[in-house]
Amino acid sequence: MSGQRHATMVAAATLALTLTPLIGIFEGVGWTVPVLFTITVIATAASLMRAAGRGQGLQTVAMCAGLLVVLTAGFGDGTAFLFIIPMPGTFEHFGALADEGVAGIVREAPPVAAEGGILFLTLLGIGLVAILHDMFVVGLRTPALAGLTLLTMYLVPVSVAPDATAWFWFILPAVSYLWLLADDNLRRVSAFGHRFTGTGQLVSQRFPSPLARTARWSALGFIVVTLMSLTVVPTNTSGFIDRVAEDFEGGGDVGLGDVNPWAQLSGSLIRPEEVDVLRVSTDDPSPPYLRMHVLDELDSDGFGPNDYEEGESVDSLDPPDSPGAVFTAEVENLALRAPVAPFYGSPGGFDIDGDWTVDEDTGVIVGDGADMGDVDSYSFSYVDQEPDAETLANADGMPPSDERWEANTAHPDVPELSALVDDLLGGAGTVHEKVLAVYQHLSISNGFRYSLQTTDAGNDEAILDFLQTQEGYCQQYAAAMAWMLREADVAARVVIGMSQGTRDGDEWVLTSHDYHAWVEVYYDGPGWVMYDPTPAAGVPGALANPWATEPEVEDEPTLEPGATAEPSEAPGDATPSAEEGPSAGAEQPTDGTSAQAADDATGGGAGFNPAWLLLLVVAALLFLPALLRGLLRRRRLDPSRLTAATAWDEVLDLALDYGVGLSDSLTPRQAAGVLGQAAPGAREAATVLGSAMARHRYSPSGADPTGLADAVRDLHSELDKNAEPRRRYRAMFWPASLLAKASARQAEQSARLARRSARATDRVRSAVRRPRRSNSRENRSVTGRP
Amino acid sequence: MTFESSPGQPPQSPAPLSPQEFKATAEGILTNVEWVIEGKSHTIKLAIAVMLAEGHLLLEDVPGVGKTQLAKALARSVDCSVRRIQFTPDLLPSDVTGVSIFDPEKRDFVFKPGAIFGNLILGDEINRASPKTQAALLECMEERQVTVDGNTYKLRSPFMVIATQNPVEMEGTYPLPEAQRDRFAARLAIGYPDVNAELALLDRREEYNPLDALRPVADAEMIVRMIAAARAVHLAPELKRYVVDLVAATRTNPQVRLGASPRATLQLLRCTQVLAAMDGRDFALPDDVQQLAVPVLAHRLIPTTETTMGGGDTKAIVSDILRHVPVVSHPGRY
Repeated sequence: MSGQRHATMVAAATLALTLTPLIGIFEGVGWTVPVLFTITVIATAASLMRAAGRGQGLQTVAMCAGLLVVLTAGFGDGTAFLFIIPMPGTFEHFGALADEGVAGIVREAPPVAAEGGILFLTLLGIGLVAILHDMFVVGLRTPALAGLTLLTMYLVPVSVAPDATAWFWFILPAVSYLWLLADDNLRRVSAFGHRFTGTGQLVSQRFPSPLARTARWSALGFIVVTLMSLTVVPTNTSGFIDRVAEDFEGGGDVGLGDVNPWAQLSGSLIRPEEVDVLRVSTDDPSPPYLRMHVLDELDSDGFGPNDYEEGESVDSLDPPDSPGAVFTAEVENLALRAPVAPFYGSPGGFDIDGDWTVDEDTGVIVGDGADMGDVDSYSFSYVDQEPDAETLANADGMPPSDERWEANTAHPDVPELSALVDDLLGGAGTVHEKVLAVYQHLSISNGFRYSLQTTDAGNDEAILDFLQTQEGYCQQYAAAMAWMLREADVAARVVIGMSQGTRDGDEWVLTSHDYHAWVEVYYDGPGWVMYDPTPAAGVPGALANPWATEPEVEDEPTLEPGATAEPSEAPGDATPSAEEGPSAGAEQPTDGTSAQAADDATGGGAGFNPAWLLLLVVAALLFLPALLRGLLRRRRLDPSRLTAATAWDEVLDLALDYGVGLSDSLTPRQAAGVLGQAAPGAREAATVLGSAMARHRYSPSGADPTGLADAVRDLHSELDKNAEPRRRYRAMFWPASLLAKASARQAEQSARLARRSARATDRVRSAVRRPRRSNSRENRSVTGRP
Repeated sequence: MTFESSPGQPPQSPAPLSPQEFKATAEGILTNVEWVIEGKSHTIKLAIAVMLAEGHLLLEDVPGVGKTQLAKALARSVDCSVRRIQFTPDLLPSDVTGVSIFDPEKRDFVFKPGAIFGNLILGDEINRASPKTQAALLECMEERQVTVDGNTYKLRSPFMVIATQNPVEMEGTYPLPEAQRDRFAARLAIGYPDVNAELALLDRREEYNPLDALRPVADAEMIVRMIAAARAVHLAPELKRYVVDLVAATRTNPQVRLGASPRATLQLLRCTQVLAAMDGRDFALPDDVQQLAVPVLAHRLIPTTETTMGGGDTKAIVSDILRHVPVVSHPGRY
């Protein structure tokens, strides 16, 4: 039954290998010890039952019992009898642990600490999978099915922490699956008896069959093709990009060059490869966000756009003339394809190709048949209005008599939300106080976190889920804040556009990762004022809203002091990125923000991927034999040490490489003749080489090496020309002569070893030889047959 | 004819023969013999090589393919004394070696030399003679001297016996024992001529026998010089090792009951030297060895009964050995 024991071991090992992707979702590697222990216990239990000759049923029971014992020993917490025998209390405890684990999974984002309920659930799950796995592989002998269990193990980290699970983590599970299949097949085939090659020779069990070679080549081909397409497709094929959900997953099939005018209250943000979208040069030292869409239609899913109405032409907007600073911006379009033109603040003086109109209600610049895809660059001037907190604190909201009032305060009726907002804004009097209260509520200091994925907490309304789980990205923050303000009868809407981007010299680069959503609140007087409730760490190029404060209070996570009206605080060289803001570390309570930012950076594909190093090493290994062979050739043909013998050595290796069979019973001249037949164009060269070698070895005067190097090269090129393509590539990348040398060396060593052991055996034998009863002994007469 | 004072050593050869001269002379003999034997240049070349290696040649083939013609042509091409012995069952040893008879005038016994006292001895149908006579001949071949009535008479140099025999079992033949076969340096078969060669043969022989028109192209002195020159051909250690390996392989081959003797090794090496010299070289190559291995070794081997019963013959065994023994004994080189 050693075959079964072997299979059990292989099953356990493959499962363990498949667990490697879990590294991404746990903190540290301490969790591997209990996990490996659990797998080992289950494998041992199964193995023992099999050794005792019990059937599958008892094996499964034994494995379950093993798992139970492990869990009891580890998590019994004093409820168990003799530590390992579970009592009813133990199961109650397990139930509590499971609840705790589920809660922990819901609450925490990877990486989580592997302890308590989470570890319990992990061990339980892995244990159950291990039992199934063992049944598939050993009990039922259907290792192909075991692919399902392995896939399950792989899917857990992929679904829980897609960011922490890069594609290369798939390699080990895949390899382990292959191992499983290969091992079982080997066992199956060798059960028939001896294995033969196609030519009928007996081969060892571990020797690959000719079919295996075909399989290896096709597998290699598939891998190469897949890897190539992985590296090539995302940058070249727009079809692939379209399928990958772009920054704002909203259902529309827009590419990275556009943004969906939706701000949803649930969803997940999958960030594809970063693409540069716009390049802006402006004299504004810290430009505000670029506005694209304005969303004022709210339903329970979130904000959507009103239909833009064609207003007056954009050309009618005069260059702003206001007491504030007027800036001009030139926008170079790199990849944007949208029906709206992005702009800063209150723009005017547009210089843009095509017909563009200004939407009356929202001020959005909408193409009248024009599209940004047709615009290479455009320019405009704008005023960067920076209201100060004091003005806002004294301002009223939008008067209900305003014709826009209805459109900007309408909201679905969600009683829970109303209660919550009432509760929250109980003491707020002015619009600004309400805004600040909501703004504060959604801040990091209140437990909100940036996450690329929202969680369903089971409420009817997505906004309640968001407010409960406190996890989401800009769409949820913007939509929630606007909705909550509308609950409080404050006119608010969501704006979609792009964050500040990153500075590149005098210009600002805006990429597909800079798409963003924020809130605008209407104040009577200052007008629409922007607020960005999203935690700044999640948004590259995020700007703080310095006006979002009460004059005294400063516990808001303001990460960027620039872009304010005070010139002393807005030096032109202020780095706009959130992490590097000078006041960030000093004023802000760090509650995982920086860690999240780091996560975000790797999720965005900016980090170093070890798989590329691996690929590089593999590629280098591919070329290693060719390199070694080339070096050897160069050394042999080096004029300073070229002799007929070195030239001949090279000729022999060439013959090996190109599959010209030269028996070692051939004389140099005969070998040259054979080579001449294989490479008719180099017959003369071969003859010269053969004669030179014959002279070198047999003549007292030796041979003159002049011209031999050229002859070798002639022979090489002719052999190459006459070889089939496959043979040619093999000679290039996997020269048989190198392999032959290695195996010859090995054969020599093993022969030496065999001789030595034979001598030792002889010595031992002669030492212990005793006289045996024999007819040939003198004192015994030989009695012949009758 | 003086027998007692036969020249043991060549009288001060004027100058060592250069490889080119050697080659030219050998080719002269070759062309000459080829005039008589059509299309068998390889066999003739080997025959000449055996002569210049001071070996004896056994021509074994079916009747009528030109064994005797070859021997005669070779003998005529070299201007030296040629004797022919037609072996018959009633041939006596004394007919070969000579006999002492009483001369009444001198009142003494006088040695009358037999047919063996010549440079080239053509022994036709050697297997028709009685073993006693065969033994007498073969003793002379090895010793290169004749002892009659207590007196020893040296034979001439060059001295070569070309014996012919029919392989076909026939009545009244006495096959050569193994030990005696071993004295022949090489056994050659001539084989039937191919169609063109046979046609040319017919044309040529319409008018006269070409053998009659043959003129010698070398003399005994030249042959002696050539023999000396051939002995000077360089034998590389690897080559000697190869020859030894080959001979050793005949001894360990499972199809062979008795392998080749050290004498075979020596003769193979000497023939190799001649062949190299005939090619104008001053060093021998394994290619030369391979050409000679079958003629020199095959007739000395005694195959096992199983091999004989299975239709195998010793030529095939030697060819097989040639295919398997590495030219250079350490692996990786040829």
